[in-house]
Amino acid sequence: MAGMTPAGMGIAPVVTAAGQDLSDADIMLRVKAGDSAAFDYLVQKYRRPLVSFMYRMARNSAVAEDLAQEVFLRVYRSRNTYEPSAKFTTWLYRIATNLAVNHARDTRYERPEVSVSLDEPDEETGTTFELRDGKLTAEQEMVRRERLQAIRSKVEALPERQRTAVIMHKYQQMDYKQIAEVLKLSESATKSLLFRAYETLREQLKDFI
Amino acid sequence: MTCKQIREKMPDVAAGLAGTTSEETRHLATCASCAGELEEFRRTMALLDEWQAPEPSPYFDIRLQARLREEISRPQAGWLAWFRHPVLASAFTVLMGLGIALFVADHHGAFTTQDDSIVAADIQAQPGTAVSDLQTLEKNHDMLADFDLLDDLQVQNNVTANP
Repeated sequence: MAGMTPAGMGIAPVVTAAGQDLSDADIMLRVKAGDSAAFDYLVQKYRRPLVSFMYRMARNSAVAEDLAQEVFLRVYRSRNTYEPSAKFTTWLYRIATNLAVNHARDTRYERPEVSVSLDEPDEETGTTFELRDGKLTAEQEMVRRERLQAIRSKVEALPERQRTAVIMHKYQQMDYKQIAEVLKLSESATKSLLFRAYETLREQLKDFI
Repeated sequence: MTCKQIREKMPDVAAGLAGTTSEETRHLATCASCAGELEEFRRTMALLDEWQAPEPSPYFDIRLQARLREEISRPQAGWLAWFRHPVLASAFTVLMGLGIALFVADHHGAFTTQDDSIVAADIQAQPGTAVSDLQTLEKNHDMLADFDLLDDLQVQNNVTANP
């Protein structure tokens, strides 16, 4: 977008002439009308949550950024047909979930079994092992990595819908209603889905609790 | 307040997304099973907190800008863009092939008995034989069909059935 410059990407609250805060759906309608600054605002507001969501869905920071950018591109492409029938975040996370689930399906057989080693960089973040200001010994750091690996693998091992719901609930702080709307489920089905997912995680991670 | 009712709410309470009502608090104070389960949920949530996501890289915005510029500079896809889709392209090719095959087959007479009728008409049968009778019947059939057509045209008065 021509008007999208790094300098112009600060998140200033978007207000009407009357001083009222606009909803994201209203801002998206401005994007539809050709306001590039409105699109910049949405990118700045949602890039961090989207990268974080995609990171936990795809388990790779580079892929997460690519997928998050793809979400914004799809939002931009759909601007002319956008109708504020649902909450903007519901629409946004529905696009993100579809992309992430498709990516997970496409790369299902490409992920190697990850082992925990202090000598090799973390496959997801690309960072190498460092003792954190001497607070943790090498052994403690090894245990921490092992615990982290267990969390990632147990969350990933959940059925697709449960995994998506847990990531939205636990890490994106979305409520049952919103998760239900994104996943096109009833609220009670979502509650039960999440309860089963957390029960599984509680059981499978009990050695680390 | 039942154990089932409070259990459904536990993930939200343990994640800190909801508090407990006074009735729920009273239930938790008297039900050791629910209180224990909620505590385990809290510990699970605390463990899950260890999985931190990285911040977007400093190049995120630059790369997004580049992709957006590319998007904008790309010419608008016309109706031909549909054929870039492999499934649609294959379906179109199959349909075109079928269409051509039907057209060719039709023009070569694969679906008619035209050749048979020409052969039958060309046979010079002896009068009074079975073949001759069949040919007469065939001609009468054509003639009767012509009568229907002439009826429609209102000119049947000028036609004699057996000249």
